[in-house]
Amino acid sequence: MAPDVLFQIAEPGESRVKHACRTNAVGIDLGTTNSLVAIVDAGKPICLTADDGAGDAGVAGDAIVPSVVHYAEGGDVVVGADARDRLAPDHPRDTIASVKRFMGRGMRDAEATRRLTPYRFAPAATAAEEGVVRFAVAGGRAVTPMEVSAEILKVLKRRAEEALGGPLAGAVITVPAYFDDGQRQATRDAGRLAGIEVLRLLNEPTAAALAYGLDKQAEGTFAVFDLGGGTFDISILKLEDGVFEVKATGGDSALGGDDFDRVIAESMIDRHVDIGRTDDTEPHFVRRMLDAARALKEALTADAEASIEVALADAEAPTRFALTRAEMEALVAPVLARCAGPVRRAIADAGIEPGALSGVILVGGATRMPLVRRFVAEAFGREPLADIDPDQVVAMGAAVQADMLAGGASRDDVLLLDVVPLSLGLETMGGVAEKLIYKNTTVPCGARQTFTTFADKQTGFDLHVVQGERELVADCRSLARFTLTGIPPMPAGMARLEVEFTVDADGILRVSAHEQVTGRQTAIEVKPSYGLTDAEVERMILDSFANAEQDVETRLLVEQRVEADSIVAAARGAMSDAPELLSDADRDAITRAMADVELARGGGDRHAIRAAIEELDHASKEFATRRMNRALEQGFRGRSVDKVDAELGAGKAGGR
Amino acid sequence: MICWSCQREAGSEAFCVACGALQPANDAADAFSVLGLPARYGIDLAAAEAAYKEQSRQVHPDRFATADPRARRASLARTVQLNQAWLTVKDPLRRAGYLLERAGMFIGGDDKKSTVGGGDDKRTAEVSAPPAFLLEIIELHEELRAARRAGDSVKVAFMAEEIRGRAAQSMVGIAEALDSGERAKLEKAARSFMAMRYYQRFLDEALADAGGGHGA
Repeated sequence: MAPDVLFQIAEPGESRVKHACRTNAVGIDLGTTNSLVAIVDAGKPICLTADDGAGDAGVAGDAIVPSVVHYAEGGDVVVGADARDRLAPDHPRDTIASVKRFMGRGMRDAEATRRLTPYRFAPAATAAEEGVVRFAVAGGRAVTPMEVSAEILKVLKRRAEEALGGPLAGAVITVPAYFDDGQRQATRDAGRLAGIEVLRLLNEPTAAALAYGLDKQAEGTFAVFDLGGGTFDISILKLEDGVFEVKATGGDSALGGDDFDRVIAESMIDRHVDIGRTDDTEPHFVRRMLDAARALKEALTADAEASIEVALADAEAPTRFALTRAEMEALVAPVLARCAGPVRRAIADAGIEPGALSGVILVGGATRMPLVRRFVAEAFGREPLADIDPDQVVAMGAAVQADMLAGGASRDDVLLLDVVPLSLGLETMGGVAEKLIYKNTTVPCGARQTFTTFADKQTGFDLHVVQGERELVADCRSLARFTLTGIPPMPAGMARLEVEFTVDADGILRVSAHEQVTGRQTAIEVKPSYGLTDAEVERMILDSFANAEQDVETRLLVEQRVEADSIVAAARGAMSDAPELLSDADRDAITRAMADVELARGGGDRHAIRAAIEELDHASKEFATRRMNRALEQGFRGRSVDKVDAELGAGKAGGR
Repeated sequence: MICWSCQREAGSEAFCVACGALQPANDAADAFSVLGLPARYGIDLAAAEAAYKEQSRQVHPDRFATADPRARRASLARTVQLNQAWLTVKDPLRRAGYLLERAGMFIGGDDKKSTVGGGDDKRTAEVSAPPAFLLEIIELHEELRAARRAGDSVKVAFMAEEIRGRAAQSMVGIAEALDSGERAKLEKAARSFMAMRYYQRFLDEALADAGGGHGA
């Protein structure tokens, strides 16, 4: 039965795609600041541009669609350059920019609570709604980030269908490599909302490497440094014989050019604006300051100094803000420095020396800044490659992948091997996260782990799926909770719950579980749950390094305590279950040993707990053997003695 | 096996001999057989990697994105199995642990979940580290901790180097024993393997602050 049950995986989207001579499949870069759509034409990926601007959201002749969505009073939706340039200044609350930062994020995440946000959020009516941000926009509507993203996708879909002269067969949509499960789910859902068959979610750095590698016939080990408007990824890939193998990935899904704008705007306000007279939470003011900061930042890419005039309030004369490049660099340097840790770790995880790299590929608009280029050159000890358009390369890679998936131009030689960005695990007793799949494992991948009951007559399992590097569940991101019920009462440690994790090629997790004694099973598609703020997610990996040692100690202590509890409970249960198998001397010895375990458990010394447990093991060994023999006679025939021994919790309580 | 697609005999390969449809994964296959390798420690890693990639090209979900759902499921299951097998085989320590378990040595601990395929009814011999060894390793840990507390990075590095040397030596012995197939040697190898775990933990701790730069 096992094979059928174990791979009971939800249908990967009902495909309506039929093989066709021409693949109307496209690649979409759904970016924080700008989005693009590309196709493969005559074997080459090209980004589609707005022809004449009529009915399109871009600027004529330009491939970029600004990722800005305006909701008008009457229900109309305007996407792109018009929304950004014409509508956002006057309707800051109804015009959503950088929606990607909100994907898969909840009301309590940092993104929804930070300073200088022009948006208004709809209050969550239920606890479940807390898990998804909702923007309150014109016309009394509340829209989720998935819906906002879907509006952008619809525009790109329309552009592609006009260019292809027919309906879209499907699309590969790119996501930051460091997106967690919830953010990936949200992106796929946005595609569905837009009526797009999502063939694959492709990691942005991998897409860039694919486009670059095929174009330049590059071989070797490359780093992709992808700093976009809102997200940062670092991936190390090996390119060899058409295989694009991701060795390691890392990043920060809330770090990008937007954060530079924010520190610049905050500094402008702190230095030049009389907050007594100006409300820095007023949406028009916030929008203007953020836009002014962005304009200054862009001007300072080429120039050493720049200035801009901003009307702080409608009736006031404009205020002039001037900034030099040196001043700006001093402001953004601390934000940029947050890239350093992920870069070092990715290099270490890939097991390479920076000197062994064949090149560093820059992706994302923020990599145009001279400061960022200097940072990259220093971090890798070499100048980055400069012969790639950092805005278009991701969409082009996605188009290549889409063409391959849809069975277009035969590229049987190309193989993408991508990885899981963050470890996936389950909560076990004591709030410890048991990792089933480690970060940087090649996808698709799977793992199985068997768990058992903690208490006698326990009839259900609560499964809590988490993602992150830390040892304790409280420090990881909660992905989902579900319950397996209806297990017949058995002694503690007797039930066998096998949990299976499968991560598909999109990097999305599915979990199934079945209780092996009864055959009861449950399968879920992990839907993101709640509990942690964005800042906590960002902190996860950093902390896991800072606290690795303390984590291990804490974990060992927690585990020892859990073991103590379970062994005392087992011994107590056994004594009341089978008093007839117990001699007076045994009873005294076991009772004393149990008291010692409980005493040691109260202290913080895991070695003492260990010693007491061993003492209890020793004291109850005879009794456990008698009980086990009886259990075997009563119907555990066919199981190995070792297993029953272990299940009764009376055998070797071996170290890890 | 009867092919799910054409209902004829599919043969034992990944693809049906009659119609070419991708067949479901064999869950009982072990890591070595999945990669078409002999189940031994000494393997040609480059050839194994080439085999892994060649098979990946054939069964990867990217090849079945628009195929029949049953073929897609088979592709996912096979690629999961293939990736797991390669993960097990490419790393010397994992490979050794896997082979020891396969030979019936019970090695508890971290890698259990990476076990591929069956083998439930095999004879198992439980292995535990000798008390003298444990005592020594505990003392070494205490010495290491004291050195770290005192900020004596030279001593930490020196101790790490010694343990690394021991681990390397153990690994040579394990490798030899694994491919000898002799029961007595295997049992000794299993004990060495247990020791490797302790060495690894020791090194992780020693490198926690000496690793310079890997930390936050």
